[in-house]
Amino acid sequence: MRKGPFVTDFDPGRRRFLGHLGLAGLGAIGAGSLLSACASSASGPSTGDASGAVTIQSNLSSPQAKTAIEKLVESFNKQGKGTASVNTIASETFRTQLPTYLTSANPPDLYTWYAGSVANDYASKGLLLDVSDVWQGLTEYPQSVKTLSTDASGKQVFVPMTNYWWGFFYRKSNFAKWGVQEPKTWTEFLALCETLKGKGVPPIGIGLGDTPWVASAWFDYLNIRVNGAPFHRELLAGKQRFDDPKVKAVFTRWREVLPYFDPKGKAYPFQEATTALLAGKTGMFLIGTFFADAAPKDALGDLDFFRFPIIDPAVPVAEEAPTDGFFASAKTRNATGTKDLLRYFASVEAQEEYVKSSSGIVLPVHPKAKAADSPLVAKGKAMLDSAAELTQFFNRDSTDALQPTADTALTKFIDKPDQIDAILREWQASAEKVFKG
Amino acid sequence: MIRKLRTGTFHTGMVLLSLLWLGPVLWVILMSVRSFDDIAANGVGSLPHSFTLDTYRQAWTDGGELQALVNSLLVTVPSVLLSLGLAAIAAFALSRYRIPGRRTILLLMLAGNLLPPQILLIPVQKFSELTGLYDTLLALIAVQVGFGLGFYTFVLHGFMRDLPGEIQEAATIDGAGPAQIFARVMLPLTRPALAALGALSFTWIFNDLLWAITVLRTDDRMPVTPALLALQGQFVSSWSVIAAGTVIAAVPTVAVFLRFQRHFISGLAIGAVK
Repeated sequence: MRKGPFVTDFDPGRRRFLGHLGLAGLGAIGAGSLLSACASSASGPSTGDASGAVTIQSNLSSPQAKTAIEKLVESFNKQGKGTASVNTIASETFRTQLPTYLTSANPPDLYTWYAGSVANDYASKGLLLDVSDVWQGLTEYPQSVKTLSTDASGKQVFVPMTNYWWGFFYRKSNFAKWGVQEPKTWTEFLALCETLKGKGVPPIGIGLGDTPWVASAWFDYLNIRVNGAPFHRELLAGKQRFDDPKVKAVFTRWREVLPYFDPKGKAYPFQEATTALLAGKTGMFLIGTFFADAAPKDALGDLDFFRFPIIDPAVPVAEEAPTDGFFASAKTRNATGTKDLLRYFASVEAQEEYVKSSSGIVLPVHPKAKAADSPLVAKGKAMLDSAAELTQFFNRDSTDALQPTADTALTKFIDKPDQIDAILREWQASAEKVFKG
Repeated sequence: MIRKLRTGTFHTGMVLLSLLWLGPVLWVILMSVRSFDDIAANGVGSLPHSFTLDTYRQAWTDGGELQALVNSLLVTVPSVLLSLGLAAIAAFALSRYRIPGRRTILLLMLAGNLLPPQILLIPVQKFSELTGLYDTLLALIAVQVGFGLGFYTFVLHGFMRDLPGEIQEAATIDGAGPAQIFARVMLPLTRPALAALGALSFTWIFNDLLWAITVLRTDDRMPVTPALLALQGQFVSSWSVIAAGTVIAAVPTVAVFLRFQRHFISGLAIGAVK
C-alpha cells in the first residue's frame, strides 16, 4: 500500500502540542535561509491593492476562542477603519506551517502567535513587520511586556493580547474533605503531600503520555524558585549549561517530591489527568489555566489554585505567564491596515470583549482592561501582578526545537532519578546541537 | 463431530477477530453520542453516561463540515477521474505498443512512487506558488493526479499486458484504429481493475491530509481531513464532536467501498494467477 502513511497521518490523539516532529522539523527548514532566498525569487512584487482586507491567520481553533476572535474582527469591521477577515487553521497544522506562511510570496498579513524568543527568532530572519509605531501609542503597557515584544535589534515586532498563568490547581471541596490548606513554602508543600499520601490519594497529578511537555512546567518552576528567573532565561538561551551544579540542584528538589507523583500520570495525557483531578483521584495538579477547558461546567466553580511554593525566600518571585498575541508579516501589502488592527487588538475594549466571549480563563494584557469577573481569575491576576518577574514557558523562552530535548531528559528523570548526572550530560549535548542549529 | 467442532472454533475465532477490527469503529460511534461533560467527567475510555446527537449538529454547522465535504468531493472526484483516465491511456500505450524505452518509462514512474512524499513538500509548495495555484483546489487536484499517476499506470499496465493479443488483432483487422481499440476494446475489459483502483484512489485522495495542508491555507477551502483536525483546540478538544465529525467524514468512502466491493475483491486477485 503505497499510500499507507497518508491515511495514518491523521491521528488526532498524538498530534498534540508538539505532535509531529517530522513536520515541525520540516517547518524549521522552511524558515531557513534556503527558502527565504527561494521565496523572494518565487514571484515579483505582488500587485494587490493596499487597501484590501487584512487577513488574520489564526490558530485559535477551539470553538470558544474561534468565536471570540471572529466577534472581535466583526466589531473592528464595524468601526470603519478598514476590513479584516479571520482564517482559522487547526493549531497543530498552524504550528508546522507557520514558517511556510511567513516565507510564501504572498503571505497573510497577521498571525496569532507567541511573544518572546519565538517572535525574535522570526524577526531575526527579517520576516516580521516592525510595529514600533503601534507601540508608541501603547504607553500604559508595563515595561516587561514591551521587552517581551521587542526583538534583538531593539524594535517591537509583537503586539500582545492575552496571557494566562500556571499554578497548582485543586478542588476546593476535596481539600475541605481532606482537611488540608494551601501550602506557601516548600516545607508546607512536602507536609501536604505526606498528609494526602497518608489518606491514600496520590498527591500530585501529572499527565505525560502524549503531552510530555507538561513536565517542563516543573522544571521551569523549580529552576526559577531555586536559581531565579535570570539564570533560567540564560540557561534556555544557551548561555548556561544544563550539566551545571545549579541545574542539578533543581533536580535534587524534584526528587524530594517525586514519590508523591501519581504513578499513572506517565500513561495518560494531561486532559485525562484533569479528569483524574476532578474525580478526586489525585490531590493537585501543576497546570496552566487552559486545562479548565477540559473540565465539565459544573466543576468550574469548585476549582482553586495556589502558587508554586516558595523554596528560597531570597530569590525574587517569578511566575510563568505565557503571552499570546499577534505579529505581522514583513511582506504585508497593507501595513497601515494591519497596524490599525493591531492597535485595536491592543485596546482595552477589544481585550475585554475577547476575554468575555472566550470561555477559557485568560487575562487581558492591557493593565486597564478588566479580566473576567470570577474569584479564580482575580486571584490569578493578583498573583501575576505581584510577581517580580515573568517567564513564559520552556519552549516560548527558548525554541520549539529545544522542547524535545527537555521532554526526553525530564521523562527519563522521572523514570530513573538515579541517573541524573548522565541525563544532564546528555541534555547538554543535545541542547548544544539545537543551539548550533 | 470433529468437523462440527472445527466449524464452531472457526466461527468463534472469526467473530472475535471481527470484533477486534470493529472495536475501534464502535468505540468512535459510542463516543460520538456522548456529551462533552460526560467525557470530561468520566474520561474518553469509560462507558457512556449520556446520549446526545447534538455533537453531529456541532460538527456539521460549527465545524463547517458541509463546506469541507463539498471541497473534498470537488477535489476527489476530478482527481480520481483524471488520474485513472490518464493512467489508462499511458498503460495502454506502454503495454500494447512497442514504444522505445517503455521499460525505462515505467520504471521511472514507479521510482517516483518510492520517493517519500515528505521530502517533496517544500518543492511542491514553492512550485504551486510559482504557478500561481497556491491555495486553490486546482493545486490540490494537480498534486493528487501527479502523485497517483505512476502507481495507477503501473497497475493498469500489468493488467492490460495480460489481455490476449488476439482481441487487439481482431479489432485491427476489423479496421479499428488505436483510439477505437482503446475506447471500445481495452477500457471495457479493464473495468474490474479500474473499479478496484477507483475505490482505492478515492479513499486515498479523500483521506489525504498532508498535501491539503501543504498547498492550502484558507480555512473554507480545506477538505474534510484538515477540517476535522481544526475541530481540535490548541490544548483541549471536544472528543465527542471530533468523533461525530469522523463518522460523517467516513460516510463517502464507506459508500464508495460498498458500491465497488465486488469489483474490488475480484480486482485485487487480478494478476495473482497467470
